Amino acid sequence: MLTPYLAGSMFTQPNQTQMGYFENEFGIDDQLCQMLLEKALSQGGDFADIYFEHSLENWLILEDGKVNRSYGNVLLGVGIRTVEGNQIGYGFTQDLTKESMLSAAATAASLVNDSAKPVAKNLNSLKIENYYPFDPSMIDIPLQSKLPLVKAINDKCFALSNNIVKVNAGFHDSTKRILIATSDGVKAEDILPRNYLYASTVGEKDGRTEQSWYNFGGRRDFSYYTDEIVTKLSEEVVERTEKLFEAIQPPAGEMPVVLGPGVTGILLHEAIGHGMEADFNRKNISTYSTMIGKKVAEPFVTIIDDGTNLNQLGSINVDDEGIPGKKTVLVENGILTSYLHDKISAKHYGVKPTGNGRRQSFEHYPQPRMRNTYMLGGDETPEDVIKTAKNGIYVQDISNGQVKIGEGDFAFYVSQGRMIEDGKLTAPIKDVNIMGNGPKMLENIIMAANDLKIHEGGAGWCGKGGQRVPVSFGLPTCLVKSMTVGGTQQKGGAS
Amino acid sequence: MNQKMYDLCKWAIDTSLKYGATDCRARMSRKRFVEIRYRDHKPEVVKEATTRGLNLNIYIGGKFSSQNTPDLRQTALENFIKKGVENTHFIEDDPYRSLPDPKYYAGRTEMDLQLADSNHGNLTAEQRHDVAKTIEQVSLDKAGEKVISVEAGMNDSEWEEVILTSNGFEGAKQTTDHWAGASVTIADEGDRKPSGYFWAGARSFEDMPSVKSIGEEAALRTLDLLGGKKIKTETLPIIVENRVVGNVLWGFLSGLNGNNIQQKRSFLADKKGEVVASKLFTIQDDPFIKKGFGSRLYDGDGFPAKKRIIVNEGQIEEFLIDWYYSRKLDCEPTMGGTSNLIIPPGEKSPETLMKELGRGIYITGFIGGNSNSATGDFSIGIIGKLFEDGLPVQSVAEMNIADNHLNFWNKLTAVGNDPWKYGRWLTPSLVFNDIVVSGV
Repeated sequence: MLTPYLAGSMFTQPNQTQMGYFENEFGIDDQLCQMLLEKALSQGGDFADIYFEHSLENWLILEDGKVNRSYGNVLLGVGIRTVEGNQIGYGFTQDLTKESMLSAAATAASLVNDSAKPVAKNLNSLKIENYYPFDPSMIDIPLQSKLPLVKAINDKCFALSNNIVKVNAGFHDSTKRILIATSDGVKAEDILPRNYLYASTVGEKDGRTEQSWYNFGGRRDFSYYTDEIVTKLSEEVVERTEKLFEAIQPPAGEMPVVLGPGVTGILLHEAIGHGMEADFNRKNISTYSTMIGKKVAEPFVTIIDDGTNLNQLGSINVDDEGIPGKKTVLVENGILTSYLHDKISAKHYGVKPTGNGRRQSFEHYPQPRMRNTYMLGGDETPEDVIKTAKNGIYVQDISNGQVKIGEGDFAFYVSQGRMIEDGKLTAPIKDVNIMGNGPKMLENIIMAANDLKIHEGGAGWCGKGGQRVPVSFGLPTCLVKSMTVGGTQQKGGAS
Repeated sequence: MNQKMYDLCKWAIDTSLKYGATDCRARMSRKRFVEIRYRDHKPEVVKEATTRGLNLNIYIGGKFSSQNTPDLRQTALENFIKKGVENTHFIEDDPYRSLPDPKYYAGRTEMDLQLADSNHGNLTAEQRHDVAKTIEQVSLDKAGEKVISVEAGMNDSEWEEVILTSNGFEGAKQTTDHWAGASVTIADEGDRKPSGYFWAGARSFEDMPSVKSIGEEAALRTLDLLGGKKIKTETLPIIVENRVVGNVLWGFLSGLNGNNIQQKRSFLADKKGEVVASKLFTIQDDPFIKKGFGSRLYDGDGFPAKKRIIVNEGQIEEFLIDWYYSRKLDCEPTMGGTSNLIIPPGEKSPETLMKELGRGIYITGFIGGNSNSATGDFSIGIIGKLFEDGLPVQSVAEMNIADNHLNFWNKLTAVGNDPWKYGRWLTPSLVFNDIVVSGV
């Protein structure tokens, strides 16, 4: 079961601007890195690493027909980690002077009180693939180039429907430059672009008010944001708002649920993916802690967490511990085959790291985190899946998902969907929750269609342990035998 | 006031004006924090650092941008400001955008809110380790045989800010925080491993509750989750526990927000002065509570903090409107944000309320869900206890409540005597009647 259009192997020329940035701009050379690593291991520890970051973020925002504000943010600093077993000492500083960085390294080293451990004599640059190639001239896009894009969304949305009374739109872009050096002699550099164009609309009709939001983006360069994307985004958000005027809340209780393709992959990410992160399992607090090699789903189910999808938001050329971007099969033909590892958990389990050691910024230490998580498609058509459900709900878009790792219980908010009545899609639904148990839901996926879609968004964040990292997700149309739907069955919502 | 921070803000404003800004607001902040976490009787995480940053709001007439940087080297900062001003020229002119009229800065109450513990600097690494270590041990002991994992910790910080504007506002604030707690995971039937937590905090280390009580509470709250399952869909009274009231209250408050009102995303936009909730529903905003987590002397616009009533016995008294949206809405600004939010407590404990109700659900946690600010509809997953004859009989999970705020707050029938202490929202437990709780 291959997904060739997701592969990035033909786009693997390194980004020309990624090498030597910290040395050129801040004088961070190998000798200094070695000195900091030696300090971090000066009182012992299994290994140490240093993580330099320089990020530039920009937001451009339209309200009431005008692009009337912009926000900018700079992140600059270094985080230094000492690891002993599963213990972490961590110091960071925004001040890239030798004294300040040595002080941060001393904080990390204070975790242990033993004799010094050696670091590798040389740092060797890691060869990495490139899953988000971009034209260097497309970095640091001038503000005035982005402004017409955002203005165009406003005009298009108002032109599409007389019911639209307010349009908000914006463009967000960031460029994150990182340098990682490890005590075992690895040095890696990368530039991670992240950007998205968004729109939200408020509509009024027959005394009712409805609102919707949508975005397109990922790890892309500015050439992605064409007129076509502007039109697609405007049409999508207006159509979503219009549909809500007809929406009802479905009946409360248990029923079959069909998950539409694409963004509903959040459910896979939250309800199942987190339970497969290895830190939760090495601490024995995940429901999957004893399930490696066991059946967790029907044989047609294969779930992948992938850092190598071209231009997707969760793609990484190298993780934040210096492990190259990889693709990890979590569930293969219904059997749980792997967890998602950082270096600490990989050592605990005696396996190789899977390239999932990620962090929000230099202020944070890495944890096992997902990248792009998706389930491969099956053999059925989406229509057959809906027909088989017979009566239930069809979920097109969800948000605000949350899971309790130990119990596996989750809840998600359905922002767009439809009733399924007698095997057909009928009235739109809105403002309801779906609830269930992650492992049970995975067992209860009884059909999958041949329409896997990865969400093409740039605003997807995953939060864990006070850190957020960009991710994406995907799903084919799937039938879940039964889930709890929290509705009230009153037309137009409970109001 | 920290003179170095003041001088930097002053220099940043002067530099912005030099490069062509017509007005500017500069905010410099600095934070020192320490985090210690224990698991398996040893430190799992030891983390310590100092952060700082400068935020600049640049105005060129009605053109506006806001920029943050941690790089305070003078040359780098001057380039940053120069570029920030240049970029602001490309923004479209907005006639409503400006620094607040300085007349609104007047009348600030001057008092010591006791937000910073002068002894914070004396806190030692040993004390922090002791707190985390002891909480872990107490939780392990209390959770007993069923325990799988306890992660206990302490973190504390000292923080300060200085704010200046080119039209005369000056403000400074210093705070300290101390937090300690634990997350506990226990074994349940089958593969279920319920996790619970309890964290408590105080401005001063000496005001922290005992580490024993923190560790025990974390364990007991987790043991309470054993055997969680869904029950049949039913209309029942619910008690929302004090510490999670905010999970439903924020959806109501979003309707009072000036931005949502002006952008036609508020279900309360035309309800000022109207009674929209039960007589028991009153919301006060009190910025002057000593050692309070939300206490302050000025708000984000620089307006003097004041006590106010937002909702009085179910009637909306005041919207939350900042300077910018007051101009767009052509009304007087109130204040965009809130400080310490208070629902005045009643006289009965949750246990007494449970006894009086007989049967219902005591909600101790929410999961997922959302609230639509335009319609007031919300839907949210719940975790808690089914009680019968006034006593808890069954843990519930995988269940949901859905309603509209204009209905829901009218169903408020009792207010507990137990305001939550560890946060900016001092909410007591609340009782609502006739709520559809969805399950099987």
